Amino acid sequence: MDNTLYVGLSNQLLLERELDIAANNLANVNTTGFKVEQLMATPDPATPPTPPGGTPQMILFVADNGVARDFSQGPLQQTDAPLDLAIMGQGFFQIQTANGTRYTRDGRFAKDNTGRLVTQAGDPVLDASSSPISLNPQGGTPMIGGDGTITQTVPGQANAQVVGRVGVISFADLSQLSKEGDGYYSESSGQAAQPVTGQVIRQGMLEASNVQPIVQVTDLIRISRAYDMVANMMNSTATLSDTAVQRLGSLMTTQ
Amino acid sequence: MMALRTAATGMAAQDLNVDVISNNIANMNTVGFKKGRAEFEDLIYQTIEQPGSQSSTQGTIVPTGVQVGAGVKAGSVYTIGTQGSLTQTGNPLDLAIQGPGYFQVLMPDGQTAFTRAGNFSVNAQGQLVTADGFQVIPQIQIPQGATNVTISNAGQVQVTVAGNAAPQQVGQLQLATFFNDAGLNPQGNNLFTQTDASGAPTTGNPGVQGLGTVLQGYTEASNVDPVSEITALIVAQRAYEMNSKVISTADQMLQTNTQMKT
Repeated sequence: MDNTLYVGLSNQLLLERELDIAANNLANVNTTGFKVEQLMATPDPATPPTPPGGTPQMILFVADNGVARDFSQGPLQQTDAPLDLAIMGQGFFQIQTANGTRYTRDGRFAKDNTGRLVTQAGDPVLDASSSPISLNPQGGTPMIGGDGTITQTVPGQANAQVVGRVGVISFADLSQLSKEGDGYYSESSGQAAQPVTGQVIRQGMLEASNVQPIVQVTDLIRISRAYDMVANMMNSTATLSDTAVQRLGSLMTTQ
Repeated sequence: MMALRTAATGMAAQDLNVDVISNNIANMNTVGFKKGRAEFEDLIYQTIEQPGSQSSTQGTIVPTGVQVGAGVKAGSVYTIGTQGSLTQTGNPLDLAIQGPGYFQVLMPDGQTAFTRAGNFSVNAQGQLVTADGFQVIPQIQIPQGATNVTISNAGQVQVTVAGNAAPQQVGQLQLATFFNDAGLNPQGNNLFTQTDASGAPTTGNPGVQGLGTVLQGYTEASNVDPVSEITALIVAQRAYEMNSKVISTADQMLQTNTQMKT
């Protein structure tokens, strides 16, 4: 009979983790380039011992088996800052960090004190051939084309000069990426980055988080109610065994 | 339960967001003000199951991992240095910079500060000073009795002195640029100081080497767009509310736990 309690407990543990993930989604409702996540649950079968004179009934516990990340496009927000970039469609910017190359959808870039294009954390943004991009400090406002080509007007030159190209890459299997915080993803399963060609970059725009608040708040209600119901079920099971013990006890005393 | 703390980080982040937006709105009419933007980043992730880890000796791998995030943090407050619109004032000592560059100002402690606010005046000694009375570098002395101060696009300051028909040059304004303007340290009073993030200033005459030009009789308005600020305020308020909803949900679940008999 304790099985009911254990199955209930497995569900409560799952619901708590689901709440943690919904909380993280809502905390990042205004984080640029954030992708919404959802916990995936699976039935976890366990065979109980055979009861006397019967056949064992399969018990299904519930367990989490993965976090699904929805990589759908977030809405684009216009900011007009020349170094704000958004990717339309699939792809990631490549960032050079102390721990190796990282990937991000967060295009809030800036210049560092040597004129390199960097993220807000100061890590250099890489071009298609994986080297950092330097802007011309005396050049005009950088114009960044759909394919990432950066052009600047340079004093003394009639035509605008190409100073670099922001690289955009993608992976065949996005679910293998792991999150590192700071909007960075890392790739550890060994799949190769494939360059994304085409007009995917929008200058002066940022990709907002694709969290849909209404879905998350509805989820909160569902999680909270489910938790209550499981708690009720566990309570009634406990009452049941309580009553059983009392009845059996009173039978013994009357004999 | 992590959700309580996660939601608290969300509320703290939106709190900062509202602070930055309110400062932008408060400075909507400040000459040369550049709007700020609170930047958020997701916090570290707790990895419960690593994506790409093997699920058997046959080399099968788990299709997705289980990673739970710990919320959001404020990355930085980024200054958006786009050009503000120019307002005509007719005052000969009002200067606006069109394009990149900062005026240099000598602070009372001897440090050099930088500003886009060109609403200058003349002090009792005839020196060109900011609205707070700090001297503009390089020092420009307007002689007593001078009439008709003219400042060219390239920053040459010319005055006409009584009894002399031809205007005479009394100074040359210089502008400073940085590799990274967004790294300047705001000091209040429209002034900025250099930091390691901004790099050292490069100075030069207006209009050369990519520097902006100076426009006499104009001031540069702030680049705050009220409509987008109000929109951002609404978004921030709603996000704050939703995070508080998470806290009450987590609280309810904890309450359910304490009410369980067994």
